[in-house]
Amino acid sequence: MDQEFMAQVETKVATPSETLERGAAAMQLKNVAVSFHGRTAVRDCTFDVTKNRVTSLIGPSGSGKTTLLRALNRLHDLTPGAKVSGQILLEGTDIYRGDITVTELRTRVGMVFQRPNPFPTMSIYENAVSGLRFNGVKKKSILDEAAETSLKSAALWDSVQGRLKVAASNLSGGEQQRLCIARALAMDPEVLLMDEPTSALDPIATLKIEDLMTELKKRVTVVIVTHNMQQAARISDDCAFLLMGEDRAGELIEFDTTEKIFNNPIDPRTLDYTLGRFG
Amino acid sequence: MSDMIDLVESPEPDTNLRDEIRQISDRVRRRRQLRSKFMITLCALALSVTAVPLFLLLYQLFDRGLPVILHTGFFTQLPQTPNLITPNATGGVSNAIIGTLVLSLYASIMAIPIGVLVGVYLAESVSKLAASLRVISQTMAGAPSILMGLFAFSFVVRDLNIGFSALAGSFALAVLMLPVIVISTEIAVRGVPHTLREAGLALGAKPHKVSMKIVLPAALTGIVTGIILAISRAIGETAPVLLVIGGGYINSWKPLDPVSALPLSIYENAKSEWPSLRTEVWGIALVLVVFVFVLSLSARIWASRKQQAR
Repeated sequence: MDQEFMAQVETKVATPSETLERGAAAMQLKNVAVSFHGRTAVRDCTFDVTKNRVTSLIGPSGSGKTTLLRALNRLHDLTPGAKVSGQILLEGTDIYRGDITVTELRTRVGMVFQRPNPFPTMSIYENAVSGLRFNGVKKKSILDEAAETSLKSAALWDSVQGRLKVAASNLSGGEQQRLCIARALAMDPEVLLMDEPTSALDPIATLKIEDLMTELKKRVTVVIVTHNMQQAARISDDCAFLLMGEDRAGELIEFDTTEKIFNNPIDPRTLDYTLGRFG
Repeated sequence: MSDMIDLVESPEPDTNLRDEIRQISDRVRRRRQLRSKFMITLCALALSVTAVPLFLLLYQLFDRGLPVILHTGFFTQLPQTPNLITPNATGGVSNAIIGTLVLSLYASIMAIPIGVLVGVYLAESVSKLAASLRVISQTMAGAPSILMGLFAFSFVVRDLNIGFSALAGSFALAVLMLPVIVISTEIAVRGVPHTLREAGLALGAKPHKVSMKIVLPAALTGIVTGIILAISRAIGETAPVLLVIGGGYINSWKPLDPVSALPLSIYENAKSEWPSLRTEVWGIALVLVVFVFVLSLSARIWASRKQQAR
């Protein structure tokens, strides 16, 4: 099996992947690096997040996937000593230096976290519309409509329709995570960032969220960090592979369509990882 | 990939060695069990040393206090000074009960908003100002309570020329409550998971909205518990009010009137030469203890209900 594997690697390295016809970019990363107190956590990230596709960030622990993802909606802003360099463009606007406020950015680039984190003191309904409320929407008809639409998009409406006033913490873990997705969708974002959204969920809840993502990409661009190789292969269209370099800083090894990354990567390390040789 | 691992032949097990290890561990285990029994006995002893005085105190309170509070007019009448013809005419303590309620009400109105806001600030800010405020409130929490009385006397009674009044007393109590509220609020707010803040920020909420709409509600149980503890502490304090409330013999809710307070009545009655007044002390003490007990009990029940509702 080993020889077969090595032979595979050699043939792969010999055939570099050609550039693919792509749609318009929702976000562009140019030489993005993030450092904390002068120590680089991730660097050399240059790739386009294409509209209406799912882009996955994969790589072993410490390769900077989450750090990179959090730079995309400026969640590092409040971390003391954090610095993001390079350029991140949203529809051509530099999100760090361009003509866009951090609050506007975050309404356009939503985020779903690793563990379901609905607001515990709010009802299901209040959670779903919380983003709108934070941004000053008060009109009940708008809120009601947004709640229904977003809960429907998150495939949660049918099961919670009759108990919208119930505390969000009464939902199961999977339902809570879908509520968090609904909460982000209610803002009608252009891009949805997901940081290992299923790592705290059981396989059935995971499957539901994966199904959801395939549906969601019709209206929103998805960037997802995942530890689960099969998940990346199943749901993503494009894939960025990151790896920790010798100085313990993560770097982008390869970016391509998911198909290329998993079947025909340029870098042998990518193949090692996707085949489960390490990480 | 089992072909990658070299399997080493395991050597014949050495039975002598195994027996020896067992003997040693048996010996050690027996010794530890003995020591554990001894320590548990010590703990039980310490517990009873703590519990016995407490139960004696409660017993004495009820034994001597119940007859006093069942006496007609204890809750409704103003105090009377006994004389040689009616040596048992002590009246009631309505002024002190109302006074205590008035004092804690006004003190709460002053201390709660400031205390909660400062506590939230301390939890959310990393500035130098926050650090020094934290040191100040920790120092204040440990300061002798008579100092608050002296401060209220010189500042409110004299400098502001407000005179002996409920206002001066509640000011002293508010200063006393403030650090307790600040510290418990800070702890409660810090206990709110960071992920909730991030969730709020990621929805485009401004930091102050996150504090007010997400963090504060999530920390509410802890904050309210702290507030009630602060009130319970203030209710039982004699020293800060002694110098400033004037010990009024009237039932009044007005902030500028001199009032009395339960702890103050205990202090004054205990000094009296009339045995009937000295006996009354137990009734007042019982009322005070029941007040504090009901307050902290309701805080606990409320907090646990709130936790379950989550």
